[in-house]
Amino acid sequence: MATTDGDSATASQRLDKDTRETLVTAVRHTILLTWSFIVLFPLYWLASMSLKPPGTANSLPPDWIFLPTVYNYIQLFQDSGFVEAFANSLIMVSASVVLVLLIGVPAAYVLSRYDIPMERDVLVWILSSRMLPPIAVVLPFFIIFRELNLFDTRIGMVLMYVSINLSLVVWVMKAFFDGIPETLEEAARVDGATQFQGFRKVVLPAAKPGIFSVAIISFIFAWIELLFGLVLTSFEAVPVTLFVYSFIGSRSIEWGMLAAASTAMIVPVVIFLIAVNKYLAAGLSFGVVIKE
Amino acid sequence: MSTPTQTETTSKSTFARLRDLWNDYLPYWFMAPMVAVMVMITFFPGAYDLYLSLIAEPTLDIFAADFVGLQNFETAFTRGGAIHSFVITITVVVSALLLETVLGFVLAALVAGVGSDRTKSFYRVLFIIPMAVAPVSLATIGRIMLNSEIGIIPYVINTGTPFAAPNFLSDIPLLTVILLDAWNWTPFMFIIFYAGLSSVPKTLIEASRVDGAPMWRRYVHVIIPYMKPVVFVATLIRLIDLFRTFGVVYGLTGGGPGTATQLVSINIYEQMFINNQITVAAAIAIVYLVLVVALCNIIIAKVGFEGVWD
Repeated sequence: MATTDGDSATASQRLDKDTRETLVTAVRHTILLTWSFIVLFPLYWLASMSLKPPGTANSLPPDWIFLPTVYNYIQLFQDSGFVEAFANSLIMVSASVVLVLLIGVPAAYVLSRYDIPMERDVLVWILSSRMLPPIAVVLPFFIIFRELNLFDTRIGMVLMYVSINLSLVVWVMKAFFDGIPETLEEAARVDGATQFQGFRKVVLPAAKPGIFSVAIISFIFAWIELLFGLVLTSFEAVPVTLFVYSFIGSRSIEWGMLAAASTAMIVPVVIFLIAVNKYLAAGLSFGVVIKE
Repeated sequence: MSTPTQTETTSKSTFARLRDLWNDYLPYWFMAPMVAVMVMITFFPGAYDLYLSLIAEPTLDIFAADFVGLQNFETAFTRGGAIHSFVITITVVVSALLLETVLGFVLAALVAGVGSDRTKSFYRVLFIIPMAVAPVSLATIGRIMLNSEIGIIPYVINTGTPFAAPNFLSDIPLLTVILLDAWNWTPFMFIIFYAGLSSVPKTLIEASRVDGAPMWRRYVHVIIPYMKPVVFVATLIRLIDLFRTFGVVYGLTGGGPGTATQLVSINIYEQMFINNQITVAAAIAIVYLVLVVALCNIIIAKVGFEGVWD
């Protein structure tokens, strides 16, 4: 008797547990699918708008089914400043990433391997550069760049983009170097390599994933930046964000072309993000979260 | 790596001497460019903002300027709308930070609990995508979808529900800005929290499960305390970046209607380029800069290094 009782109790408990678990799973996926929809719908809407024939882009009720056309993209690439701005951004942002790596990675190596006096204060100082509101930073540079003839030049913009990302590169790369055992370089030193050779031939290759991901994250932060372009460029060095903004500002907005420009700006970054998704948490948390 | 003696040095070629100089002082060479750039982007703007905020107007020879004391600050905070813009900024920063932290954590916990690994990584990759959208592009999307005449969202609300859609850009602009920022940057919180959750030891979770504790208590008493450093870092960095907000608001409302969404950064920009009062702009900028840097440094000093950077 007692055993049957016990059995039925566990059986009903198990059933209870099973239904509960099903319920939890159902709720979980409902929420996750809802959020997926919230994430995807605006992007779908933007992309579909960019592919609609002119004049129908914003008709309501919306044409859910339409014949996609690349008309807006052809317009965009032919007779606006889009190609120029896109190329500008690509060149300036890439150059800034190379430069920020050249400046930041060696410094991160030293911060990781040597006993620096007041190391913690130095690190917080470096992080402080990120805390400075860009509008407060750009104001003096607006004046100085005019004096130095750097106003509306790609070089000036590259320097500003470096300023956004240097703290990120130093912090993330220091964390990556901390994770690379020092015995690796010591072995190389025993074999007669100089410190620099040890860094270049042993440590850097081991830190490749870190460098790759921090490069892409830096690229993204510079790519999406509007304010520096708005203040420091007017014609020659206009970045793609400013181009999109000036589209919004124009009196009669061509919605289809605006959607096309925005889509063209987003797509490469989505690909980049997915490429580094494994290291994204480490990079975005300034190297504090390394495991995933 | 001993320093070469005098005789050795003189007998060596210039190239070899340079190489020795390079190798012997390697840490200095490695640090120097970073320190130089850091000085340029931290001390210089601060000092120059301060200088500009104290003078009547910028002159070619910086020593020829007229110092006017705190007059620019007075103008900024009495007539320049600076106080209003600080209130707006704090509202946006605090609400967006709270919303993004809670949403990011809930989503991360939900995804971490998904059974199949494939579904898990599907959600993980999907949920980071909004970060690829530049704030100014997000403003574009907002203008397209929320426009009261051509927007799909007001249209759906008006036709599909018994409610009348508000005008998102003029009736509730601040809320719209906060929600758009949350769409853009909740992924940032999500991905860091997700990584943090994945690093919670399985044994810890199982031990609490054996106790029969309900799920929410497992989170409150076991998982969140373990994740404290991750939560701290994610919110700190998001806080820092929220103070930088500009593009989404400038593109969406331009600070308006009126001054309803005029963040400090937009106020400074307008003082500078619309009112042509660069010294007043500098006065607001130096106050903003000092407040933000002080706040972040206090947070770091108070809670920062314990268990995070040690």
